[in-house]
Amino acid sequence: MKAEAPLLLIVDDETRILSALRRALRREGYEILTAESADEALRLLSERPIDAILTDQKMPGMSGAQLLAEAARRRPSAVRMLITGWTEEIPRTRLEALGVCALITKPWDDARLKATLRRALRA
Amino acid sequence: MGVCLQQRSEQRPSGVRIVVLQPGRAGAAAQLGRLGVEAEVEVVHDVERALARARAGACDLVVAAAKPSAAAERLLEQLRHDGPPVIVVDRALGNEAALGWFRRGAADCVALGSRGSETLAAAALEQIRGWRATSRRSATGRRIQELQRYSEDVIQKMNTAVLVVDPSGCIASCNPPAAQILGQPLQALLGRRVAGWFPDAAGRGTVDRVLAEGVRFKGLESAITRPDGSVVPVGISCAPIASGQAGRPRGAVATFQDLTEMRQLQRQVLQTEKMASIGQLAAGVAHEINNPMGFIHANLFQMNEYVAELRRVWTHVEQLQKCLDPARPEPAALRQAAEQLAALVDEVDVSFVLSDLAKAIRESQEGSERIRHIVQDLRDFSHHDKERVPADLNLCLDSTANIVWPMMKHLVVLEKEYRELPALDCFPMQLKQVFMNLLVNAFQAIEEKLGSSGELGRIRLVTERVGDDVIVSVSDTGTGIAPEHLDRIFDPFFTTKKVGVGTGLGLATCFNIVQRHDGTLRVESVPGEGTTCRVVLPIDGGGGEG
Repeated sequence: MKAEAPLLLIVDDETRILSALRRALRREGYEILTAESADEALRLLSERPIDAILTDQKMPGMSGAQLLAEAARRRPSAVRMLITGWTEEIPRTRLEALGVCALITKPWDDARLKATLRRALRA
Repeated sequence: MGVCLQQRSEQRPSGVRIVVLQPGRAGAAAQLGRLGVEAEVEVVHDVERALARARAGACDLVVAAAKPSAAAERLLEQLRHDGPPVIVVDRALGNEAALGWFRRGAADCVALGSRGSETLAAAALEQIRGWRATSRRSATGRRIQELQRYSEDVIQKMNTAVLVVDPSGCIASCNPPAAQILGQPLQALLGRRVAGWFPDAAGRGTVDRVLAEGVRFKGLESAITRPDGSVVPVGISCAPIASGQAGRPRGAVATFQDLTEMRQLQRQVLQTEKMASIGQLAAGVAHEINNPMGFIHANLFQMNEYVAELRRVWTHVEQLQKCLDPARPEPAALRQAAEQLAALVDEVDVSFVLSDLAKAIRESQEGSERIRHIVQDLRDFSHHDKERVPADLNLCLDSTANIVWPMMKHLVVLEKEYRELPALDCFPMQLKQVFMNLLVNAFQAIEEKLGSSGELGRIRLVTERVGDDVIVSVSDTGTGIAPEHLDRIFDPFFTTKKVGVGTGLGLATCFNIVQRHDGTLRVESVPGEGTTCRVVLPIDGGGGEG
């Protein structure tokens, strides 16, 4: 972990999910940015030194997996995580190809979410 | 004689069979050689044998010797009402004797005198001709009777309800299945007028129009009111029975079917198809429920944390209150408690916690409201209409679009252009099902075309009133339909979708539903560019049954 707070970008077209995730991770010591679309996320990705990106899969236009593929190109160092209601929707091989290091299911378990993020960002 | 026979040659009977009853070897039989036609003459000596031959229809004529008279008399008595003609012959016959034989039923009496053979031949020929003509007539009569019995039997044994009516519209014949559908005994139906049983004008007019105009109806859907008041949906086909000459038919024959079971099946298919479309939606809907579930679940967890933190603060507030006891003021303890409290308030960030707690509650409430709506919409969708009710098609279309929206929003921009519409008497759930199918098809066409290209497709919903019709159109920018498929899209079980994706019943069901509303469903498509489905419903729709 870096000395300063890791910069976490959360992407979901559902603002309430963004709000709840921000709430859940309030005490986790991250600086949190949120984006409501893949486009906005890509803009933030190019403007800020993002350490980790956690994105929803099903979004209008670009999907979460597509966003992560783009993120891998633009900022390979950023930890890539996916959050989805249907984990079986994306083949495991595709996840591996995208370098996704954590798959979080919706609805998530708070403690497990925090542990998963900590583990992913430590690695 | 020769002349005589030549004149009648055209009518000369063939295959003549004559039985001669005579006591001895010589007699009338010998004289029949002059008959001039090919005849089979059988000589019998016993009256019972003669009778047996006559009764078996084995002869056209019996020639009986007058003596012994007992035999001739018995023969005449037995054949008097039913049998071939009998000519009585005797060596000599006085008028008195001849009259006696005529009275006993003899067809003719011939004296076998000097010209006896010619006389007998002529008499025999005449009798044979006469007998053949009558028996031909009665054979025709018998044949007619046979045919009547046959056709009646066909009607009675048919497993389809059949009614035959006479030109006045009264029942001339009907069969047990008809009696069963009509709920009345067969005998009670004969002679009754048909029109009275139909509660609707369409049914009442059917038979009358067939009789008056000679038109025919096929598969007309109507209903029949039974004497016990119950109403049976029936399909009627009715055709005129041709009259010999042009003009009014000689009656009409109607076949009809009890549609109760078919209606039930139709409802089942409708329900099955609806369930199938709901199945297609399930993933999308689950996703839509899962999102609010996700944040409500997380928020509850967090709210619990907030409450725990606020409880910690409250414990300190209570501490402080104790120090404020005016009886035992403890300024030092008071200051300490106040400092601790201030530190804790800072640590917990109470003002943020309070405002975020309120926000979390608000957001969760909104989420649960969303779930409630989705469940409500789905529940509405699984109902089925009992009867026509006035409905606003804009609302029907919009609530259906709301249900399917979650499954398509990641791929689709939805444009709505709703104009003001008059309330339409309809089966709203069925129409919603049509809209649902059209929307799902539109979405799937876009999904197939765009896949995960990241592009967005467009679905446009337009409602408008044009003249006496309400038009609802659903256009998409999907794959379009190949021209060779366009003819078949309404066929049941026709599908180009992958196994498990489409039932092949979607558009067939839509077509039926729209037809039930006396409307039309038109599909225009440009392969590669998209499809427009247009539901045209007359505002003054028919009164058909659901």
